[in-house]
Amino acid sequence: MILAGNSEIRSRLAVAAVAALGSVRGVMMRGVHWLPGLCLALLLIGCQEQSKAHLTFAVGGAPAELDVWEELLHQFTEQSGIAVEMQRQPTDSNQRRQGLLIPLKARQPDPDVFLMDVVWLAQFSASDWLRPLDESAAAHFFPRVLDLVDRHDGRLVALPVNVDAGLLYFRTDLLQRYGFSTPPATWEDLARQAKTVQQGERAKHPGFWGYVWQGAEYEGLICDYLEVAASNGGGLAEKGRLVLDRPGNRTALTLLSGFIHQASISPPNTYTQMKEEQVREIFQSGRALFERNWPYAWPLHQAEGSPVAGRTGIAPLPHAPGESSAATLGGWHVGISRYSDAPEQAQALVRFITSFAVQKQMALRLGWNPGRTDVYADPEVLAALPYLEQLRGIFAHAVARPVLPYYTQVSQVMQRHLNAALAGWVAPEQALKQAQAEIDALTVRYHPHQPGRLP
Amino acid sequence: MKFEREGRTGLLFLLPLLLTVLLFIAVPVAGTIYDSFFRDVTFLPQQFLGLENYRVLLVDHVFFQSLGFTLLFALASVPLEVVMGLLFALILNRPLPVRGLLRAAILVPWAIPAAVSGRVFELIYNFSYGLANYLVLAFGLSDQPVNWLGTSYGAFAALVFADAWRTTPFVAIILLAGLVVLPEDLYRQATIDGASSLQQFLRVTLPLLKPVLIVALLFRTIDALRIFDVIYVITAGGPGGSTNALSLYSYQYFLSGDFGYGATISVVLFAIALLLAILYVRVSGFGKEPT
Repeated sequence: MILAGNSEIRSRLAVAAVAALGSVRGVMMRGVHWLPGLCLALLLIGCQEQSKAHLTFAVGGAPAELDVWEELLHQFTEQSGIAVEMQRQPTDSNQRRQGLLIPLKARQPDPDVFLMDVVWLAQFSASDWLRPLDESAAAHFFPRVLDLVDRHDGRLVALPVNVDAGLLYFRTDLLQRYGFSTPPATWEDLARQAKTVQQGERAKHPGFWGYVWQGAEYEGLICDYLEVAASNGGGLAEKGRLVLDRPGNRTALTLLSGFIHQASISPPNTYTQMKEEQVREIFQSGRALFERNWPYAWPLHQAEGSPVAGRTGIAPLPHAPGESSAATLGGWHVGISRYSDAPEQAQALVRFITSFAVQKQMALRLGWNPGRTDVYADPEVLAALPYLEQLRGIFAHAVARPVLPYYTQVSQVMQRHLNAALAGWVAPEQALKQAQAEIDALTVRYHPHQPGRLP
Repeated sequence: MKFEREGRTGLLFLLPLLLTVLLFIAVPVAGTIYDSFFRDVTFLPQQFLGLENYRVLLVDHVFFQSLGFTLLFALASVPLEVVMGLLFALILNRPLPVRGLLRAAILVPWAIPAAVSGRVFELIYNFSYGLANYLVLAFGLSDQPVNWLGTSYGAFAALVFADAWRTTPFVAIILLAGLVVLPEDLYRQATIDGASSLQQFLRVTLPLLKPVLIVALLFRTIDALRIFDVIYVITAGGPGGSTNALSLYSYQYFLSGDFGYGATISVVLFAIALLLAILYVRVSGFGKEPT
């Protein structure tokens, strides 16, 4: 961390090191003794940043996604004449974040442009790492999403490349067979339908489950929990404060824990192993009636060869009577580094990535739900992805996780306590009380001037 | 005059090594210690805090829970790995028909990256299609599949087992290297004196193997205290935060941009590892000239 200065300091350091080693070499005069010194000098020079202003774009994801990105960047270079170097990041979102955190903290000029998970945005903008974007681009995007996460101090600092929200997947054939005409509107309906179908199916299908969802100790648990909490009149923030310990949230945690332990419609390993892919795998192999997942699962369920193709439906997640359905907002946003050495070219790249043509290509080729609303009206896109029409309404009402620079810490606290309650180790009331106490301590630490207030 | 020149030449030969150690070990360690005295949070103004981070750490019950888990993990996994490693080393030291092949084969788990073997174990422990539940059901040990990672004991044992599987070969190979160089005539002498194989093992093998054993223990203890990858892949600290090792806990702070507090946790972990290393060396008398 000490060495991590700007590139100017680093290059001076390298020059000084070369000079120092040079003098050592002078003393030694002959032989090959100077070799190690030369190696070290070369190493230091190697560490130096190239000062040439060029554009670097950092993006991660599955190999197929990265191939599409590479192609898109080629298109950009052809159109604009601006060369872009693509920095390939891993798929794991923690590692992607780490890969951005280090150069940004060291005020490095590269990468100039990068993608951020929706929950990092508050940290990145509060750290003053993002350069304001051209406001004119905002018109075509979901206004609610922009207001929730993409503005900082009133200025636009990021734009959604794709948006995600939690959905309920259900088996149309099974609901029909057991005499349910519609997917569940309330959580009670869901539990009842799940129980009936599970009991019936178990006779010939011992590993069948009523409802599978993400309950392992990781970020996905917060997404699932927020949906159940918000649709039970709860939520994570209230009047500008983080309020976790409240009636709707207690109901939600009791409900989820009951799915595993009392109703037994969700598998026992829900709180240990259930993440997106495990859940999708169970539903897709025909071993579950209901599934909570992100939209990415839809094309996979409907793909040729999938056992549930043509027998899968989507619906908004259930809610408590008198409340409305809630879907957690996910997705990736593009932004420009404060330390970029090519801000003009970077703006051009962001304009390109968020353009109608590129967003349409991403929808068609990757099945991504565009951040731009006008793509949802494109006939070609709707023909290929008919469910987008329905998703659009869900995105427009998505709920965001708390937009806080220290959200990661808040999330870690919640993950631990919610997961312990799902394991049945502590009562839901107790878990929420403890989490609240720890979160209050966090707000004092990270928001010292107005402890407890959301910025 | 000549001595002085030789000394200087010797120093020059050492210089690359010293510089490397300084650059890649001393500087980061010093930097981390330095950072632990600051509020170094990406979204807050940097501020010198003195020992404030350490004060917060002392009342941080999550830290103590992590510390407890980490120490217990080392306490459970290291003895298991050393005992198993010794057993394998003794077997591999015997004249077996395919000894070369066996010696190579035993290294396989060690050669697999921890993240990969962690993933394999995650699949083994999987509730619905894991090998562990397949065996339990096939042998009729239970009529229901077991949620292996569902209790704090279960998750703990599963992690110790996964770690032991991966690192036992490392211990075995180090100990084997120690066994191979033990002088044959000592055993012949012991046999003539009428010592049983158990006596030979306790009186000849173990004492002579002690320096190597200490090295293996030292490496394994420090590694066990820093355990990260296996846990990150299998339980990620869950369920309910019961397997949240110290390195995982500090990583969470680095990731969220609080480098100061993350550094504080790392410094404490470093201090514990250093203390244990000194203790090993002191207690064992290792490093002293043989008498």
